Amino acid sequence: MDVEEMLETYFERINEIPNSDKFIQCIQCGTCGGSCPYGMGTLFTPRRMILAVRAGIVDEVLQSGAQWLCTSCFTCSLRCPSQIPITDAVIPALRELSLLEGNPPEELAAALMNITRYGNSFRESPRKRDRWIKEVDFEVPLISKKKKAEYLFITECFGAYHRRCKEITKAFAKLMDLLGTDYAILGNEERCIGDLVRLCGEFGLFEDLAEKNIRVFEKYEFSKIVTHDAHAYNALLREYPRFGFKKEVVHHTQFLYNNLEKLKEMFGKLDYTVTYHDSCYVGRRNGIYEEPRAVIKAIPGVKFVEMKRIKENALCCGGGGGGVWLDSFIKDHIKERPAESRVKEAASVGADVLVTACTLDVPMFEDALKVTGLEGQLEVKDISEIILEAIENS
Amino acid sequence: MKICAILRLVPDLVEEIEVEENEIIPFRYMPNERDEHAVEEAIILKEKTGAEVEVIGIADSENEADLDEGLGMAAAKGADKLYKVVLDRPTYKRCEIAKALADFLSDKNYDLILTGIQAIDSYAGNLGGILARYMDLPYIGGVVEVNVSNGNTIVKKELGGGLLAEYKLPLPAVVSVVSAERPLKFVPFTKLRQAMKKANIEEVELELPEIEGVEVLKYEVPPEPEITLIEGDVEEVADKLIEALKELSIL
Repeated sequence: MDVEEMLETYFERINEIPNSDKFIQCIQCGTCGGSCPYGMGTLFTPRRMILAVRAGIVDEVLQSGAQWLCTSCFTCSLRCPSQIPITDAVIPALRELSLLEGNPPEELAAALMNITRYGNSFRESPRKRDRWIKEVDFEVPLISKKKKAEYLFITECFGAYHRRCKEITKAFAKLMDLLGTDYAILGNEERCIGDLVRLCGEFGLFEDLAEKNIRVFEKYEFSKIVTHDAHAYNALLREYPRFGFKKEVVHHTQFLYNNLEKLKEMFGKLDYTVTYHDSCYVGRRNGIYEEPRAVIKAIPGVKFVEMKRIKENALCCGGGGGGVWLDSFIKDHIKERPAESRVKEAASVGADVLVTACTLDVPMFEDALKVTGLEGQLEVKDISEIILEAIENS
Repeated sequence: MKICAILRLVPDLVEEIEVEENEIIPFRYMPNERDEHAVEEAIILKEKTGAEVEVIGIADSENEADLDEGLGMAAAKGADKLYKVVLDRPTYKRCEIAKALADFLSDKNYDLILTGIQAIDSYAGNLGGILARYMDLPYIGGVVEVNVSNGNTIVKKELGGGLLAEYKLPLPAVVSVVSAERPLKFVPFTKLRQAMKKANIEEVELELPEIEGVEVLKYEVPPEPEITLIEGDVEEVADKLIEALKELSIL
């Protein structure tokens, strides 16, 4: 593509995304670049990306690879005085150009190809998506058998296939089992919900995934979706309605908060100092700050401490927006990955346990523990894991 | 200049395959990765020389639908013509496939025929060589870069141990590719679907000759490897590892 064609494709895409008309209102203040976890490591911060598009040198942005140095953490979008949808439009549309040029970073290209072929990024068989239910000592209902349930539990790819993240899925399912929740899973009928695909600029694949998922949802009777995957929550809540999906979507932190009185009756004591990491798509993007804190603080014996960067100022784990598939690319550009900085911060406030509420966080932070030498000093647990531990300790 | 790249299907090992004594039954098929590199190299040559690229997909009547994605991908990358060659029965005998292909290709006047160096379902790396033998053309395998100059092809071939050598072959020739000069080009979903819809695929049925030669006696699943997890602190693990390596006569 020549630059003219690139710009035409870019604006065609941008114009489809809500609030992108604000693009022209960029006042070049630089708040975005100053807020960006990768701001120091990139030639083109969002401000300079917008400037480059205006100057017609979009090809230089693509050559620099700056479009891939974004974890979609939403800090720039939240702080932008002109409310430009940087995370949802400016950057994904640049990434789309890179995909159309055919040369995204290899790890990311492989993940997207796997999702196209198998419906998951792990290159695993779609027929094995429900394998985790055979690894638990209680029955996990399939909606194809149950036909009707109050909650449809979406495990998403990481929750279904990733060795560590599956433990979070099992813990949350166990909690629903203990609470007597009327829930069911799609099992092998579930496929990638696609939020990271969208944020990576693979808009065509995202639309295909959304349409196929909604067709499966429509086969069954349920009133709400519950998920522990922050990106699945975000896409189902904010993007799927465009494709006709209208059901209520609940994040598992909200679900746990809504069941807190029942949970309190089951809690035993835990002797931990705990801090909580606000995952970008639970906190900053979707405003869920108090519910997880209230749930953690309700566990007897837990000493709760806050980190310095919390709530809307929390630092990203680096896994969002495809960052989880860009590890070596990012390592080439920056000295310390955000997850490494974040676990050091958790350790610095004296926490024994770093509690998170997004499946991506746990492997990102556990890897960072190994790199920073904090393994053994700090543990990473999803909120459902620490709740289950409190119950099992009673 | 006219180039063709051969695209085979191989069992998709993401799914479990059934192995019986005289046949292998995959759940589904996917394009052979080395052949995808052959297609990529053909596209690179098109970019370098303006050559016409034709991609010849090989399948049988049971798995021919699995070929569409690979052919669509080739079209999206810039292949000019696509063939879907449907063999009248599945065979793992490369001699038979090579002979049928050689007859099919004989009147197509290709200057260069590219194949992947090997396929996971045979691993013998012999399609390119046998094809060249039947077509009476020069052959070279292990190739990582192809250029064309004055009626010859200049290829870079891997010699092993990190060494590369440059060879010159007269055209027409058959070349088997290990990997293309660049990573496989990414094709976004929409572009792939559009290419699959628009692609003009000529379907050809080929009858396979029966050729005596290497016979498959039986297929078998390799035994499960024994895995021992060594646990303990660093010193302990190192001692146990040394012991285990000594037992295996590695140390």
